[in-house]
Amino acid sequence: MCGIVGYIGNRQALPILVESLKRLEYRGYDSAGVSVIDRELFNSKAAGRITELEKRLPDAPGRMGIAHTRWATHGRPSDRNAHPFTDCSGRISLVHNGIIENHRELRAGLESRGHRFTSETDTETVVHLVEENYKGDLRAAVSETVRHLRGSLALAVVHLSEPDRIVVARDESPLVIGLGQDENFVASDLPALLKYTRRVIYLQNREVAVIRRDGVGLESFEGEPVERDIATVDWSPEDTEKGGYQHFMLKEIYEQPRAILESLIGRIPGLELDIGGIDKEDFDSVKIVACGTSFHAGLVGKYVLEQLTGLPVIVEAASEYRYSANTRYSPLMVLVSQSGESADTLQAAREARRRGSRTLAITNVVGSSITREVDSVLYTRAGPEIGVAATKTFTSQLIALYLLGMAMGKHRGTLLPSQLQELIDGLRKLPRDVQSVLDNRGAIKLTAEWMAQARDVFFIGRNVHYPTALEGALKLKEISYIHAEGLPAGELKHGPNALLTAETPVVAIAIRDHTYDKMLSNIGEVSARSAPVIAIGLENDRELKKASDLTLYVPEVRPVLSPVPVITTLQLLAYHVALIRGCEIDKPRNLAKSVTVE
Amino acid sequence: MKAVILAAGEGIRLRPLTLYKPKVMIKVANRPILEYVVRALAQNHVRDIIMIVGYRRERIMTYFEDGQKLGVNISYEVQDKQLGTAHALSLAEGKTGERFLVLPGDNIADPSMVKDILASDEPYSIAVTESQLPSKYGVVLLKGRQVTGVVEKPESNLGNLISTGLFHMSSRVFSHIRSCASAGHHDITAVFQSILASGERIAAVKTAARWSDVVYPWDLLDLNARVLTEGAGAVAGTIESGVHIRGNVQVGEGSVIRSGTYIEGPVRIGRGCDIGPNVCLLPSVSIGDNVNIQSSTEIRNSLVMNDVTIGPGALVSHSVIGDGSRLGAHFVAGAEKAQVILEREIHVVPALGVILGEDTVVGNCVTVEPGVFIGSSCRIGSLRNIPKNVPDNSSVV
Repeated sequence: MCGIVGYIGNRQALPILVESLKRLEYRGYDSAGVSVIDRELFNSKAAGRITELEKRLPDAPGRMGIAHTRWATHGRPSDRNAHPFTDCSGRISLVHNGIIENHRELRAGLESRGHRFTSETDTETVVHLVEENYKGDLRAAVSETVRHLRGSLALAVVHLSEPDRIVVARDESPLVIGLGQDENFVASDLPALLKYTRRVIYLQNREVAVIRRDGVGLESFEGEPVERDIATVDWSPEDTEKGGYQHFMLKEIYEQPRAILESLIGRIPGLELDIGGIDKEDFDSVKIVACGTSFHAGLVGKYVLEQLTGLPVIVEAASEYRYSANTRYSPLMVLVSQSGESADTLQAAREARRRGSRTLAITNVVGSSITREVDSVLYTRAGPEIGVAATKTFTSQLIALYLLGMAMGKHRGTLLPSQLQELIDGLRKLPRDVQSVLDNRGAIKLTAEWMAQARDVFFIGRNVHYPTALEGALKLKEISYIHAEGLPAGELKHGPNALLTAETPVVAIAIRDHTYDKMLSNIGEVSARSAPVIAIGLENDRELKKASDLTLYVPEVRPVLSPVPVITTLQLLAYHVALIRGCEIDKPRNLAKSVTVE
Repeated sequence: MKAVILAAGEGIRLRPLTLYKPKVMIKVANRPILEYVVRALAQNHVRDIIMIVGYRRERIMTYFEDGQKLGVNISYEVQDKQLGTAHALSLAEGKTGERFLVLPGDNIADPSMVKDILASDEPYSIAVTESQLPSKYGVVLLKGRQVTGVVEKPESNLGNLISTGLFHMSSRVFSHIRSCASAGHHDITAVFQSILASGERIAAVKTAARWSDVVYPWDLLDLNARVLTEGAGAVAGTIESGVHIRGNVQVGEGSVIRSGTYIEGPVRIGRGCDIGPNVCLLPSVSIGDNVNIQSSTEIRNSLVMNDVTIGPGALVSHSVIGDGSRLGAHFVAGAEKAQVILEREIHVVPALGVILGEDTVVGNCVTVEPGVFIGSSCRIGSLRNIPKNVPDNSSVV
């Protein structure tokens, strides 16, 4: 995955491009580059962070240009493989996000016709194709080129002979055009634009646009004109600033009480979810499909929906669902994606539709690609998340799943009105429960100091806390680089016990629910193998304190809702461990925020 | 022009409301005190703000972020130990520009006061106001408009003009701060003495504008009542039929006001609340976000903070209920003239109910005697009469 930006207007392009690029750094950051056109085409690229590029930039004039931040899919990170790429004549420059699947065969043809390649990337193929197709009209050349490409792409192209325009194209990779006063912008994602404008046009699949200083024209790959309404974004640019925090991740962890409240406002007490009545339809089962942290939210959702609706729920990784057999039954398909752009989840949504299922997306981004692929959308209202490790979007996804389960349970009669009321009261209390975890983070910090020395950590839980354990382990490994594994507590004795030593801490989640006694026995088994136990339980649980080496408490909360304060505890734990270990918390190595490649 | 807001302090005298948040983040009429300060600056086109934060600073940073929502740019400096106001101010050295404002984050500054002091072109200016309790403040001694001295909390009568903590300063102040600090003085009074001793002039700007300091928790009630008289009514959310709304009333988005509820303004209700049926809200009540007030409860002249639940049939009068507390059915905190002992002093408050902290859970049928303080994170069982203060984190069963 990569990020691209473009600018055309009256101002110096370079500072705007670099600033916009920085706001896309979460999409990848192993190399970056920029092209601006004045009387000549000026290029600069650098391996490493955007600040590396910034150090190398001379003062190049020019009021239009394109830029790119890269996350390597083809070719290792290096100056040479960084975008933008230019053609043989050095007059065309191009940036690309996506993967060109047929680039090898195209490249062979281009090389046989004498094109010289400087890199190993799929993108360079595209710029040479544009060169071949160029007959004095850049838009026509781009349209002709994209018709021959297979895969996914968002492109921005400039030509020295046409310094009044940027031509952009999209198929399967996100691209947004921002509209200013006598200037226009383009970017992979909103954060790059919000400092400059709120008025945007979302380019859709198989569309080409010509962006001039004073206007934008859209058409399809096939050349038919396209009309598109201008959308107004209600996120503000500060939503993407760190606001005094050392890391976006910590800022976002602290934003959770508010994010949860936002997800509840206007939806309780009546459970008006505005999802086109899908909660009132009859299904014989539910399938939740997602990737990464969203997949873990889906796994919590399984326990929640089964408990509240009585329906069987299957959770599948989106990358697996796509290639699974069509079993000819038609569950309600719930697709969970923070960005709404995860390629695997998008493809799963299409596959679900092909199989004739009703589809519901849970996403954080209004107008994102997935919202056009599904029947209904339930938005989480977490606001933009910049830290690569998902935090507030995970808890907001849980809230969405609770609301969905409650609405379906209400309709199906599997939840008594009194039970529903209790759950609503419990939801209402969650923002405060999470705040209370944040307010009492001293004990978590101490635990982190102790855990930071570990090489391996195991997280165990049962029922809703099995996925909470998975997510806690994911948080720890992705930002602190400590090997961590989440397990159903009952599975320890079927193998992993063999790995327990006095040097492998075990985090055990033991909330007073129907699995509590079993959890206590599991904790006993772990202690018997001299592995230190960090237990997470409800406040005033003295029994748990006796059974464990360190105990972290969350406020008294209904078991089904307890993953929310528990995961907040585990997020803070992972954060402090990573901080002690001196890790790059917001930009862990080898990871990108939303994965738009399959 | 830049401004430095001092917001690092804890606000011990406002316990239990400041156990989990700094004083500047206590809400009055549903806005943190600090937000009034920021808005007063923004109204005067002072948009670059340096906030000195310390105690529980995440609360401030999460709320204000980088300031764009209020149309300002906020950057943060962290004061780890609250050594004194001069020390806090020193953290802004090198970031203020030649002339800048200094404001306390815990008083509600009137925009006209900011305007008055901005107009002063002396190298140093102090906004002064008359006080009936000068012994609590720094008293400013004057000769004409010129300040001749500042005496912190004087024991004898030196006049009633006090410093509001709002200053217009030159960046030369930082060298005075350094020399005072090396002599072991971290308070701003010592810095003013040092400035005067060096022969520089300090002007006093007398302001007739409203200046509201919150010294004790009950001061919040008067301040809330006064702020509530400003601003127009605006009703969002769902208002069921049979609700009576009179006077200046604001209801936030996503809130539900159930049938039979009677609201007499000024009353402000936040977002996502569930109120009623048959609740009675009388003048000067602020209700935060995500608050649930159940049937047949009456509330008057009180602050009910975010995430609070108040059960059916309760009476809450002249009281402050902190964030996230949950009160059972038939909770009674009626107001009477009360004697409160704080910092070994007896304060007579004409009418006071309860000051109740954050995250405290109270059972059913609990009665609190007027003027009692109940701490944060307490657990109080049902059928109790609470005659005296309950410290933080304790349980009454």
